[in-house]
Amino acid sequence: MSLPLRTAWGIARRDLNARFKGLRLLLVCMFLGTAALAAIGTLTSAIERELASSGQELLGGDLEVEVWQRSLSDAERNALATYGNVSSGFRLQAMASTPAAAAPIELKAVDAKWPMFGTLTLTDGRSVGAPTGNDAWIAETAIERLGIKVGDSFTVGTVTLKAAGVIQDEPDRLSEGFALGPTVIVADAVPAAAGLLQPGSLYQSKHRIAFANPQRDAETVEEALTKAFPTAGFDIRTRNRASPGADRFVRQMSDFLTLVGLAALVIAGIGIAGGVSSYLDQRRGSIATLKVLGATSGDIVRIYAMQIGVAAVIGSGAGLAAGVLVTPVLGAALQGLLPVESGFIISPSALLLAGAYGLLVAFAFAAAPLLRARTYPAMALMRSGVVPLARDKRALLATALGLAAICALALLTTAQPMLSGGFLLGAGAALALLAALGWAIQAIARRLPRPSNPLLRSALSNLHRPGAPTGALVTALGFGLAAFVLLAAVQSAIDGNIQQRVPREAPDYFVLDVPRDSEPRFFELVQADFPKAAIRTVPTMRGAVLAYGAKDAMTRVADLKELPDGAWGLRGERGLTYADAIPQGNRVVAGEWWSPFHNGEPLVSVDAELAKAAGLEVGDYLTVGILGVERTARIANLREIDWESMGFNFLLVFSRNAIADAPHNLSATIDLPDGSDSAARGRLLRGLVKEMPSSSVIEVGGILTEARTILQQVSLATLAAAGVTVLAGLAVLMGAIAAARAARTYDTVMLRVLGASRRQILLLQLAEYGLIAGVLALVALGLGSGLAWVVVTQLFEFDWLPDWREVFGVLGLGVGLVLAFALAGSLPLLAAKPARALREL
Amino acid sequence: MTSPSLAINARNLTLTLGSTAAPVTILRGIDLDIARGEVVALLGPSGSGKSSLMAVLSGLERASGGTINVAGADFAGLSEDGLAAARRGRIGIVLQAFHLLPTMTAAENVATPMELAGASDATPRALAELEAVGLGHRTGHYPTQLSGGEQQRVAIARATAARPELIFADEPTGNLDAATGEEIINLLFARRAETGATLLIITHDASLAARCERVLTMADGVIASDTMTGVV
Repeated sequence: MSLPLRTAWGIARRDLNARFKGLRLLLVCMFLGTAALAAIGTLTSAIERELASSGQELLGGDLEVEVWQRSLSDAERNALATYGNVSSGFRLQAMASTPAAAAPIELKAVDAKWPMFGTLTLTDGRSVGAPTGNDAWIAETAIERLGIKVGDSFTVGTVTLKAAGVIQDEPDRLSEGFALGPTVIVADAVPAAAGLLQPGSLYQSKHRIAFANPQRDAETVEEALTKAFPTAGFDIRTRNRASPGADRFVRQMSDFLTLVGLAALVIAGIGIAGGVSSYLDQRRGSIATLKVLGATSGDIVRIYAMQIGVAAVIGSGAGLAAGVLVTPVLGAALQGLLPVESGFIISPSALLLAGAYGLLVAFAFAAAPLLRARTYPAMALMRSGVVPLARDKRALLATALGLAAICALALLTTAQPMLSGGFLLGAGAALALLAALGWAIQAIARRLPRPSNPLLRSALSNLHRPGAPTGALVTALGFGLAAFVLLAAVQSAIDGNIQQRVPREAPDYFVLDVPRDSEPRFFELVQADFPKAAIRTVPTMRGAVLAYGAKDAMTRVADLKELPDGAWGLRGERGLTYADAIPQGNRVVAGEWWSPFHNGEPLVSVDAELAKAAGLEVGDYLTVGILGVERTARIANLREIDWESMGFNFLLVFSRNAIADAPHNLSATIDLPDGSDSAARGRLLRGLVKEMPSSSVIEVGGILTEARTILQQVSLATLAAAGVTVLAGLAVLMGAIAAARAARTYDTVMLRVLGASRRQILLLQLAEYGLIAGVLALVALGLGSGLAWVVVTQLFEFDWLPDWREVFGVLGLGVGLVLAFALAGSLPLLAAKPARALREL
Repeated sequence: MTSPSLAINARNLTLTLGSTAAPVTILRGIDLDIARGEVVALLGPSGSGKSSLMAVLSGLERASGGTINVAGADFAGLSEDGLAAARRGRIGIVLQAFHLLPTMTAAENVATPMELAGASDATPRALAELEAVGLGHRTGHYPTQLSGGEQQRVAIARATAARPELIFADEPTGNLDAATGEEIINLLFARRAETGATLLIITHDASLAARCERVLTMADGVIASDTMTGVV
């Protein structure tokens, strides 16, 4: 006869300590694991919801067609108009100036229909549409750079504009991508009037369609337009992927957060297993007493499952609440980087999933110790307390079922099943490795000769005696320390990318659209103020790859359903140039460079990585579309490009005779001597504006600042997310040590009774934990840095630049924490007189 | 067929513990009958098998061989859980180290076995039982707030509250001073007298054994002597 649930609950409730003594590790692990999953799930779904619901607003339409260096032809414009209302405009780099100051800006020209979705708000609270006449909506930073106020005038190209209002919120800002200067919004007629749309000028014309039928599928329209105008070089985006940069970042962050969530789950699981095991170990006396009093093994499972269940529900409930509370903080940290709703976000599906995960993990990891406890004999009251709980096949089955359910849930609910599956396999392998290591340490300790020193003998037998917690300790410490290494390696690698890579070898200015016939004057202007400046100019135009491959079997890019992996250079328009010599920082790896003033078959040099991705070889052909004209060239050689040089780098470099006749301008980089004064820089900018009004300057310092800000936001977000895993790791670490220490209390007291000094016992424990922590530090270093490498290089696609000093420092701190925590717990026992300690056993 | 007047009837009881490779035989063919209501002392040196015999007779341990019938139930045919169910309401146990549940109050400790047996009035009965052992003022106290003597009183109340047919006591005064031990034994005997239960008590104390009707002495896993003291 099994105990009625009500009676079982009555006993469980009474036996449960009001402060959850013994179950706190379980509570903390449930809390942290569920909180991490709830926050991650809520944040991800908030981003996805925002992207889905605000796709039109972010893009400024249902679909956007972008084309370089030209506007649309009548045929193209008419085709777009068949789908709905079309709003057109331009985007280009330009210089804004006053008699006293000049500043590079991002000029955004819009027609009267803009914005078709959302509203532009100004700092004075007005909601406005497109500016009219010579009015301009101007970004705060441009106002500051120019030293003007609202109502004042400034010049762009050859027109004088009025700063009519300061931009507070621009509806389609995120879809515009990386800004190379502060934004100035003007009417669509301004760029032409300012002389900025010369043939060959680097500008984009943008055309957004608001579908007449809102239900129309944007992807179908995209396909139809690509098919109708295969050589037009359209770069098309739809409302579902309004911001390619944000999309990519959302994917990266979501992958990373998935990994963090799974890691938190695994670590929490280890903590839960440890917490339940040590709790049931502590309750052995009570379990045996209940059995003496007539409780069956089923009753024992029911009573303790209820207690563990209550703790799990409270822990996960608090975790869910914390997950919701922390989301606005994470959202604020990512503001500007990702589209996230502000304030509290409740996503029932994310919370349900996090709760389900938490309870499944609690079930999977608590089932084994719980089911083993049921076989704990009543007679144990009269026998030694070191007998381990018996193995139980049903426990293995329950754990396997629970883990299978978690894996299934993880794989079914993730957008990246390969990544999640890979991680779960990796985590399983890591667990197996740590279990094998725990077994090996015990086996070696068992086979070592017994030391004559009783303290050393005790330390050694502590590792392998029946009921020794070595296995649990190794798993918990291994994962806990690995979490430390992971965080330190990821953080320091991101910092390394910020500090080392971004500013290295970067020029001070990029100058776009320098007219070819003004090249000598351009040199004179720069060298007048900076005689030692390094100036480099390259011809620049835009064009899209239309076809590639062997001469008689070329593949049309428009016919490809999907681009080959890594062949991103085939998508949309790219910068093109021609040259007589190998560009600086490039290296020919196949074929040969053409001779100066080559006059034979048109030739092209292709980036070796693009060639590899697209399956191109020397001798194959490539067709590009430049301003609507197709040009074909033979691949003469493949080049390796040093992308980190931050100079002008081109995937495709043509021989002069292939494309030089197309309208184009020059682009230039200017490297100023170190310590150049700002007054001279201001003079140079004003001089360029005055003499070459159609040129635009990009200040690299500003770009680097923006790049740094973005990377720092990534860094902050990863720190916040990974911090949860480290907290879980820390809790598991401390829980495991506390459980192991409890098992040693008896030995410590008895050694004191038998005459061991406090110093001897402390040294003994230091040696024992030092040995385990030392071995595990090495394992954690391998595990943690391996996972960090995946995160940094594969997910974020950053360089692997961890600061090993920092990694070792943090690992050392982790080992120090282990030792401090292990020793600190023994101090009260050691401080007490042996007789008193004996009474407290 | 066991006589209904017998509380315990065991034949050729054996108990072997340890691994198959290194078995340790604890009980070596015990034959024992104990009448209902009898008060029996079990003496013997350490390691003679006293506690193991009590464990088998009270259903805490399954015998390795032989037949055993306790309070009308065939213990040899029962599983661990069957033995647990058989103990409920029939058998009360008092242990040397008290073994109260540390997270429960005195009243809750006493009520627990009755609740396990399905009694709906466990709490009032537990309170009454604590009153009967002189702890009516300590019902809400936890074991750590009670003296050793008080803890053993709670353990006696827990063992007798369900009015079991059999009470087993394993050195119930072993952790107590002489005066408190005397009080506890008086209480145990008084509660037994009131309930009419059969009492088997393990002790090293000859004076305590002398208060019992029958004294069994164990040596090396067998009953070496079985003496009636003449006490009624």
